[in-house]
Amino acid sequence: MTPLHLCLLISTGLFCIGLAGALARSNTILVLLGIELMLNAANLNFIAFWRFGPPSPPANGMIFVLFSIAVAAAEAAVGLALIIAVYRHQNNIRLQDATRLKG
Amino acid sequence: MSYSYSLLARALLPEMMLVAGALLALTYDLILGRRHTLGERRSAALWIGATALVAALYDSVSIGVLGPVYGHTLRLDQLALATRVGVLGLALLTLGVAAGVKATRHPAEYVAIILFATTGFTLMAAAQHLLVAFVALELASLSLYVLAGFDKDRRESAEAALKYFLFGGMATAFLLFGFSLIYGATGELDLTRIALVLGHNKMTLLLALALVMVLVAFGFKAAAAPFHLWAPDAYEGAPTPSAALIASASKLAGFTLFLRLLWPGLGALAGDISTAGNTGGWLTLVALLAGASLLLGNLAALAQSNIRRLLAYSAIAHTGAMLLGVIAAQIAGAGPLFYYVATYGVATAGAFGVIAVLETNGGGQKITDLAGLSRRSPLLAGCLAVFILSLAGIPPLAGFFGKFAVFAAALKVGGVAGPAGWLTMLAIALSAVALYYYLVVLKQALVAAPAPANSGRIRVPAAAAFTLVVAAALIVVLGLFPSLLLNFFELRPV
Repeated sequence: MTPLHLCLLISTGLFCIGLAGALARSNTILVLLGIELMLNAANLNFIAFWRFGPPSPPANGMIFVLFSIAVAAAEAAVGLALIIAVYRHQNNIRLQDATRLKG
Repeated sequence: MSYSYSLLARALLPEMMLVAGALLALTYDLILGRRHTLGERRSAALWIGATALVAALYDSVSIGVLGPVYGHTLRLDQLALATRVGVLGLALLTLGVAAGVKATRHPAEYVAIILFATTGFTLMAAAQHLLVAFVALELASLSLYVLAGFDKDRRESAEAALKYFLFGGMATAFLLFGFSLIYGATGELDLTRIALVLGHNKMTLLLALALVMVLVAFGFKAAAAPFHLWAPDAYEGAPTPSAALIASASKLAGFTLFLRLLWPGLGALAGDISTAGNTGGWLTLVALLAGASLLLGNLAALAQSNIRRLLAYSAIAHTGAMLLGVIAAQIAGAGPLFYYVATYGVATAGAFGVIAVLETNGGGQKITDLAGLSRRSPLLAGCLAVFILSLAGIPPLAGFFGKFAVFAAALKVGGVAGPAGWLTMLAIALSAVALYYYLVVLKQALVAAPAPANSGRIRVPAAAAFTLVVAAALIVVLGLFPSLLLNFFELRPV
């Protein structure tokens, strides 16, 4: 097994754990955590492909990861703000209590 | 391949105008806002925002078609120009809708975030590089999440924003993972070179996985079934101008971005669906998404009693037809799809504009709350009739020619006997179903008598009235002269 394969296996595992967490958890913070895990799995992919793939002159994958970390941070900020907005109304952050809208 | 900074600066002039306008709105409100009432602050912010949008519109038109910019990072072709003009126009429409509702407590921030979202849309229109596409999409999405939750005193708004955010965040993760696999399989990030590498490559497991990931993300963002769950909640709970922006401009920019990603970028992996025994490729997946969206959107809309949820399910159904347009772009180019999405955006933003005025005047969200609209305000009822009939696809309005152009192009992909032909037949049959729920809305608005408790005349603010009349006129003119828009695109495969 080459190092690239190992990295891809780890990142796929991380993505699946994140997805399972995001889908199964009812605590909104933990769902957010799952989404962050999925994003980081993709980052790991970029780094692995950049490091072990065929040499490409500019550090494309590396730069992509820097940007996506920044974007993930912004996303976490917006997400936490929205979680606080919901907390102010229902005094908890359980997803099954957020049932005002349905039909 | 040229890396000219001056050309890049020229190509990004509209974005600079938008960001400058957003900062100006914030600064003005911070420095001078304290002395003014809420209404004055709001009209100042709206005027600054509208000026920035008009300046950006002027810049995009005067720049014109530049071709590839800064290597192959951006591509300003006809599609990019048309989409930029389209999203800027729809954002102006959204500001007009915002003028018709009660002021939020932070009007300058609201306008600034609308401008930031629009910056994301205009960048999405021109992105030719995976990194630019990703960052532009995220700029637009994050702004839209905030806009959806802006009315945070209402529980519904916060809840809608949270659901929109959680689904959207998951879509982002899928998209990024798909992009990383495309990067791994080709070693490139810009779409031109990805297409070159894929030209002499066969479909591998890695690429298949990447395609599925990217299309799942696309399904989430465009609200295609079975990834549509956030849409009805977001449309119902979000403040009306935000819902209008989510329904119109974000759809237009999103479809342009994915058309560019799929056809010029990943076109080598499209497969072939002109006959039933098909080879694997993303066309099959897009066709499945289109069929599911058409069926689910139209059938679920029948059961709705809330006008906003009805518009949301009709949006899902329209997404199905737009996906058909993505398939048809193989033959007819981007023209029919662009015409469809742009005119759909104007009609749906206009419908939200009518809802906004109604809700400010004490109406609810029920379809029955529209009762007697023609007597309470003939202007609103007339505009609503134009928008709804265009959504239903009644000639001579623009919605009809949008459907006609897309379906005619889709029928050329393998004729009536192929899967694309079957999908088109399904879409045509379901248009008849759609007519029913649209006419239910119009029956309340035009025929039913007003409820005694709620029968006073509605005063329409001048800005909102002007916006609605302009939107309705646009629908009629584009419907009478569809060639104005369609001839702008060369009739060639994208």
